[in-house]
Amino acid sequence: MQRLIAFIEHNMHILLFIVLQGMCGVLLFSLNPYQQASFTHSAAFMTDKSNEFSSTVTGYFNLQEQNNLLQAQVATQFKNDARSSLYFMNDTITLRDTSRRKLYDVVPAEVVFNTISKASNVFIINKGTKNGIQKNMGVISSQGLAGIVIQSNANYSSVMSLLHINMNVIPTINNFEYYTGLKWDNGHPQTLKITGLNKLEEIKVGDKVYTGKSSLLFPEGILIGEISQLETSPSSQYFTTHVKTATNFRNLDYVYVIINKDIDQLLPLLPDND
Amino acid sequence: MIRLIFFWIAILFLQLVVFNHLGFTSHLAPQVFIVLLITLPLHISKSYQMLLGFLVGLVADLFIGTPGIHASACMWLIMLRFFLLGAQDLKEQIANHLPYTIHSVGLSTFAATATSLVLFYHLYVFWLESIGAINWIFILLTTLLSSLFTLIVIGVVQLLSDKASGEL
Repeated sequence: MQRLIAFIEHNMHILLFIVLQGMCGVLLFSLNPYQQASFTHSAAFMTDKSNEFSSTVTGYFNLQEQNNLLQAQVATQFKNDARSSLYFMNDTITLRDTSRRKLYDVVPAEVVFNTISKASNVFIINKGTKNGIQKNMGVISSQGLAGIVIQSNANYSSVMSLLHINMNVIPTINNFEYYTGLKWDNGHPQTLKITGLNKLEEIKVGDKVYTGKSSLLFPEGILIGEISQLETSPSSQYFTTHVKTATNFRNLDYVYVIINKDIDQLLPLLPDND
Repeated sequence: MIRLIFFWIAILFLQLVVFNHLGFTSHLAPQVFIVLLITLPLHISKSYQMLLGFLVGLVADLFIGTPGIHASACMWLIMLRFFLLGAQDLKEQIANHLPYTIHSVGLSTFAATATSLVLFYHLYVFWLESIGAINWIFILLTTLLSSLFTLIVIGVVQLLSDKASGEL
């Protein structure tokens, strides 16, 4: 205690200095208009910054809720998209508004497990038969095509991702469907390949690759990717086309399962159905 | 003592009536009154010196209409003075209760200390005054001119008072 008092006595001038400087500061910033304005300005700046910071922190707390809302919104939007509707011709007149009905239903889901490094990559989503998900349903992300459901139980489903050597998608480029198959060759986890495109085809790097009409799992016009490279060899009349996937499988979090409501009626009509 | 009080009042009067209203150029705003703080007798306790600095600054502020600026600057000046004087050997002067003048510590030491303090003081004051619209070229030019003027006045005052009293 005595030491403390001695210390204070010894440094009294510093203490005095700090206190009186504080008083000066108060006088300075409360009575001088310029400095006051400047102080108010920087104080407002500080308040802004701290508010910004606290909102970035607290923003995380309801992020999950926001995500679910957004996902639901995207799913609704998707259902209402013209692509997922069918036209029914009653007479010679097409009654668009009343006869249109939704062909596809969309279920938002979250990815709980994902691999990209294997030859047969599969991811698992947190929706299952309880939500109406069954084998052979298409899965997309908000960026583009993601995969096909291969198995599902009550609460979970496993999805064969685009990065699976058994995956085969018919690509549509510039409104033409190419029945050559878009495959992953166990290479780079964002590059798919199309091997049988003739060099005479009018395609170029940067063209978008979409799904076409030849699949019942996906609506027409879902983005698959973009042509990133056209590999040619003199001995072949075909391109080896590299397609960069629209979906980034490295950080796949939220996906949408597409349920074709009329699949039971449509499948028996296909000639090669077995 | 009476002579000392008279000297203080005279300097403050000169500062408030003459030096604050020179008006030759906007770059000339000498703060001559800080000579009072620079030459404070060395035996006074640090706390008293600090209080004295605050009060002198406050008086200057009241007359110039810049509350807080000179008070703050004066305390910084006292602080810097402690620092500068701590590096000097002044045992003799402290023992004899002498003020810090050309006469007591010698021209070169006094000139070095006074120049640093005066430059610092002006820079600090002009910077503080212009917060909100800082123009460094103006501040530096004003600091240099005003400091030069102040140092000359301080020198003259010192020589005159040395001759007159031998005390200050």
